[in-house]
Amino acid sequence: MATPAPVNSTDPPTVLGNIRWSVQSVAYKAVLATYRVFAILVLYAVLIGIFSYAFIMGFYAVSRSWAAPVILSAFDEKSLDFMQQLVISRQTIEDLQVDIVRQQTTLAEMAKYRSAILSLDPQLQQAITREREQAKHTGPELEKLEKDKQADNAKSREMLTQLHDLEFQLNNDLKAGLITKADATSQLATLNQAETAYTDSRIAAVELSNNVLAATTVGTKSLDAIEKQAELRSDIAQLDVTLSVAEKQLMEDNRQVQRLHDAIAVAKLSPYYLNGNGDKQLYFAFVPYDNQAVATVGAPIYDCYLNMVVCRKVGAVKQIFSGEQIINHPIFKTQVRGLTILMDLSHPQSAKSQTIFLGGKPLWF
Amino acid sequence: MLPILTWLVMMLCLFTTVVKYLMGLLLRLSFPGTKILKDYSRQSTVSVLLPCYNEGRTVYNSIESISKSNYPADRFEVIAQDDCSVDDSYEWMVKAQQDFANIPIRVGRNVSNCGKARTVCNALEHSTAEIIISIDSDCIFHPDAIRELTACFAEPGIGSVGGRVGVSNPNDNIITAIQTIVYYAAFELYKIPENWTRSVCCISGCLFAIRRELLVELEPILRARHWFGVPVNQGEDRFLTHQTLLRGYGTYINNDALCWTAVPNKLSVLFKQQLRWRSSIIRDLFFTLKSLPQHVFRLHPNTVFTLVLTPLSALVAMMVMVTMFICDPLAWAGPQPLVVYVGLAAIFSWAIKKYSVRETIQHPLAFGAYLAWSIVSSVFITPLSLLTLDSGDWGTRTKQPQEAQIGHASAS
Repeated sequence: MATPAPVNSTDPPTVLGNIRWSVQSVAYKAVLATYRVFAILVLYAVLIGIFSYAFIMGFYAVSRSWAAPVILSAFDEKSLDFMQQLVISRQTIEDLQVDIVRQQTTLAEMAKYRSAILSLDPQLQQAITREREQAKHTGPELEKLEKDKQADNAKSREMLTQLHDLEFQLNNDLKAGLITKADATSQLATLNQAETAYTDSRIAAVELSNNVLAATTVGTKSLDAIEKQAELRSDIAQLDVTLSVAEKQLMEDNRQVQRLHDAIAVAKLSPYYLNGNGDKQLYFAFVPYDNQAVATVGAPIYDCYLNMVVCRKVGAVKQIFSGEQIINHPIFKTQVRGLTILMDLSHPQSAKSQTIFLGGKPLWF
Repeated sequence: MLPILTWLVMMLCLFTTVVKYLMGLLLRLSFPGTKILKDYSRQSTVSVLLPCYNEGRTVYNSIESISKSNYPADRFEVIAQDDCSVDDSYEWMVKAQQDFANIPIRVGRNVSNCGKARTVCNALEHSTAEIIISIDSDCIFHPDAIRELTACFAEPGIGSVGGRVGVSNPNDNIITAIQTIVYYAAFELYKIPENWTRSVCCISGCLFAIRRELLVELEPILRARHWFGVPVNQGEDRFLTHQTLLRGYGTYINNDALCWTAVPNKLSVLFKQQLRWRSSIIRDLFFTLKSLPQHVFRLHPNTVFTLVLTPLSALVAMMVMVTMFICDPLAWAGPQPLVVYVGLAAIFSWAIKKYSVRETIQHPLAFGAYLAWSIVSSVFITPLSLLTLDSGDWGTRTKQPQEAQIGHASAS
C-alpha cells in the first residue's frame, strides 16, 4: 500500500529512522502550512465572490438606472439585414416611379384618343340628322316628280306608237318614191332619237324611283351610319373603364411610394441606419423599459468599476430611439425588452463596459 | 482537447449516476444474480463494535436494540468503546451493560480522544469473533440484522457486508423527508449494480460487517491514515470497503439487514455531515488516482468507474453550477428542474409507502426543495471539503464540554 508510515508509530527508533522521520515531518508541516494558507485564501476568495455575486444580483434586481452599451457593427447580421431592406425599399420606389411615369403617359394618350373619338360622335349624329331632314324635304317632292315622270313616259309611249305608224308611212312613201331617200333617212333618224329619248326617260324614272325609296325609307346606308355610331360609343365606354383602372393603379402606386418614403424616413431614425451610413463611430446603449424614466436627452452617463462602484462621468445621452429592442440581460441573461439610446461619449472605452448608469451614480460614489 | 475531455468526464459522470439508477431498477426486477447466497445456518461468532462519542442516551437505545437480536446470545457480543465523550455517553453505556445482561457487553474507554476509526481499532483489540460488525452508536437495529449480515458470508470471497440504513425520522421536516428519499434511492437502486458485481464501493458505517482476519490485516493502515501528518478520523467505512476490494474480496449490501438512523433535521448539522462525507469521497478519489494502475488491474471495471467517476461527479457538478451561475444565473429557477424533482419525489414516495412503510413520507412534494439543497451541496460543500481535508474531528458529534450534560444516565 502507498499509505505513509503512521504518525504515532510505535516501531523502535533508529538513527536513520529518526532522520527520515524528521525530514518527513518537516515536509508534511510545510505542505500542510501551504495547503492551509492556500485553503484560507481560496475560502475567503470564494466567500467574497459569493457575497459579491449575491450583492450584484440583488443590486441589478432593484437598480432602475442601468443601461447596457451595445457596439453596433456595420457587418453584424441586424445591420446587414436592415441595410438590405433599405436598399430593397429604395429599389422598389424607383421601379414604382418608372411605372407611374409610364402609366401617366399612357393615361394621357388614352384621354386624347377618347376626346378625339368623343368629338366624332356629335358630328356623325349631325350628319345623320341632316340627311334625315333632307330626306324629309326631298322625299315627297321626288315622289311627285316620279309621278310626273311616269305620266310623261306614258305620253311619250303613245307618241312613239304614232311614230311607228309614221315610220311605216315613210317607208311606203320611200318605196313609192314619194320622198327622197335623204328625206326619209333624216326623218327616220329623228324617229330613232325620239325612241332613245323615251328609253332615257324610263331609266331616269327608275332612278328617280330609287331616290324616292331612299329618301322616304331607312336603308342600308343609314344602318351603316348607326352601326358606326354604336361602335364609337362602345370604344368610348371601354376607354372609360381602362382609364378608371389605370387611374386607380396610379393612385395606388403613388400611395405605395409614399408609404415607402415614410418607412425610409422612419428607418433613417434607426440606430442601424445611423451606424451603417456614417463615417463617425457611434456609441449606442440598450435601456430596459423599467429604466426608461432616466433615459432623457442630455442625461449624464456614468461608467463604474465592478459594474457598480467608483463611477465616473463618461458622457451624456444624445438621442433616444423609439423602436423596441430585445437583448439578454447582461447579468441575469434573461430576455429584456427596452429601447436604444445614442451616447455622446467622452471616454469611448466605456462603450465596452458591461453596464453603464444613466442620470447619476448608482451607489453615490 | 480540454473541452472534449471535460465533456467526456461530464458524460461519464452522467452515465454513472443516471444509468446506475436505471440499471439498479432493471437488475432488481430481473436479475437473481444481484441476490447473494445466504446461509442462515452459518452462525459465526460475532463482535458488534460500537464506537461512541457524545451520543448520550442514544447509545443506550442502540445497545438495547442489539440486545433484542435474533441471533444466539452465546454467538455474539457487544464491545462499546467510548472516545472520551464530554457528555454522559459512557454512563449510558455502563447502564446498558447492566440492564441488558442477556448478552455479553464489554464497555471500554479510550485513553484520549482519537476519532472513530481508531476507536473501532481499539474495540477490535478486545474481540476474538470471526465476524466483526462495526455500527454507529446512534442507530437502532432490526432484530434480524446480525443474522442477515452473517448469513451473507456464506458466499465465498465476500469480505465485507453492509446493511440497509433506513430513516427513523422521515417526517421531522423537509430536510429529513429529502434524506429519506435519497437514502431509499441509494440503497434500493444505486447500490444494486454494485451488488451485482459484488463490488459495493462504500458500505455505510452504520452497519458494517467484515471478516475478522481482513479487519486485523487492515487495522495498522486504518490507524495510520493521515493527511500530511494530520490523522484522518473520517470515512473509515469508505476506506475499509475500498481496501476490502483491493485485497480481492467482494463487498455486498444486504438490504434485508436493517438499521434505523435519525438523519439530521437541521441544515447546519446536515451541512457538517455532508461536508464530512464529501471530504472522505474526495480523499478516496485522491487515493484511487494515486494507485490507479493497481485499481485497473485488480478491480472490476465497474468498480474502477464508480471509484473514479462518483467523486468526479461532485467536482463536475460544482463546475456546472458555477458555470450556470455565470452564464445563466436564473436557469435553476425555471419550472423544469422543479418538475423533475417533484416527479422523482412522487415515484419514490409511492415506492417507499409500498415497500418501506416505516419511512412513509407525509409530504413527498417537499422533495422539490432538494433542488435548492443540490445547489448548496455542489457550490459550497464540494469546494469547502476540498479545502478542509486537514480537518479530523467527529463532525456532527463534536461538542464542547459545557454543551454536554454529564451524569444523567444513572439517574434515568
